[in-house]
Amino acid sequence: MIANPSDVRNLFESHYFLFAFLSSLGTLQIAVTGSGIRALWLTPYRRVTRWLGFVCIITGVLFFFGQPLFIDGPWAAGSVQADSTTREWGVASWDELAGARNVNDIHGGLDGVDQAIWFSLAAIFAFAVSVVFGALSIKANTKELRVDAKLDDDDIDGLAGLVHRSYFSNLPISVRNFRLEARKFWRDGVRSADRWSLIKIISGGSNQ
Amino acid sequence: MNSIDASLLIWLNSLSGHIKILDDLMRLIASDYLMPLVFSLSMFWLWFSGKTPSQRMTYQLTALTGISALAISNVVVWIINSLWNRPRPFLDHPDELNLLFYSPTDPSFPANPIAIGFAVAMAAWTVNRKFGLWLAMTASLYGFSRVYVGVFYPTDIVGGALVGMAVYGFTSYLRRALEPLITMVVRFARGFSVA
Repeated sequence: MIANPSDVRNLFESHYFLFAFLSSLGTLQIAVTGSGIRALWLTPYRRVTRWLGFVCIITGVLFFFGQPLFIDGPWAAGSVQADSTTREWGVASWDELAGARNVNDIHGGLDGVDQAIWFSLAAIFAFAVSVVFGALSIKANTKELRVDAKLDDDDIDGLAGLVHRSYFSNLPISVRNFRLEARKFWRDGVRSADRWSLIKIISGGSNQ
Repeated sequence: MNSIDASLLIWLNSLSGHIKILDDLMRLIASDYLMPLVFSLSMFWLWFSGKTPSQRMTYQLTALTGISALAISNVVVWIINSLWNRPRPFLDHPDELNLLFYSPTDPSFPANPIAIGFAVAMAAWTVNRKFGLWLAMTASLYGFSRVYVGVFYPTDIVGGALVGMAVYGFTSYLRRALEPLITMVVRFARGFSVA
């Protein structure tokens, strides 16, 4: 049976999204445990969260590249052949597994633009999941938070604010600070931009 | 030059078909999905990994530049492809190559996936030499795997790497030309607590 490209694409999109989501979530957890942004940790514990990050990445890779063993798709009896249209629809054997996902985009695989869109959605979703779990882990870690509350400062916003507060507490402070200081940021930015800046050249006299 | 290129390709590709686990590993590395995701994730990691506000701002501006370079590399490769349609090696040497991959239909030069890999590696290298080197080695391995499975000439890989690095250089100047707009984008993201 020759696979229909749109059926293949549907299959690839859902699998790729989950692969990108798990990998993004894992990468995010490794990054935020290193930089101490506690409001994005999946658990209140740094080491556990970091390991969870590695587990998410490995799970994502195993899921995406191992899935052809269990799910019917355009990978049976042909992953060693060059032409992805001549493949049969079915599950892959262990021998074919390594090349099972190598399907040309004109035959239903994902091209670069599709991958960019699905990756962006997956990364946003990974951030959202981290925000929710981070709020719970911040709540669970109240003793540590009480100490931090003394250091808390409304000038600290953005990701820096997420070291001390949950995303939901931090968001109004960040929005307010941005609204208050946007003009100042712009003016300072124009003033400190180097001679290559077109905006500085156009606005002229910004050094004065 | 072309004959050296083809000879090198045929020699590298002749390594395939002897050790199945090596063939499988190269098929996996050459996949359209694994390495491009690694390059995207490296920029995602860079965005969140700054430890101090100034380091975070530097990393985020670099990540933005890297992502822009990645996108611009695609456009540059597309322009070169429309000017010169170099046939894929398995079309030029059908009897001498052991093809381990599907037959791509787009032109061979320059290698698009390697261009994006090197654009991202250059971005990482500007803020962290070790990380940039690691990404450049990953992109090189990706390039090697693509030659091994028989879909690119070695010069396509070198051309892709040069395009990626050149585009990153251009994008860095573009960023400076658009300042303070780019920094404002990061500040705006900070207003939503994502930067």
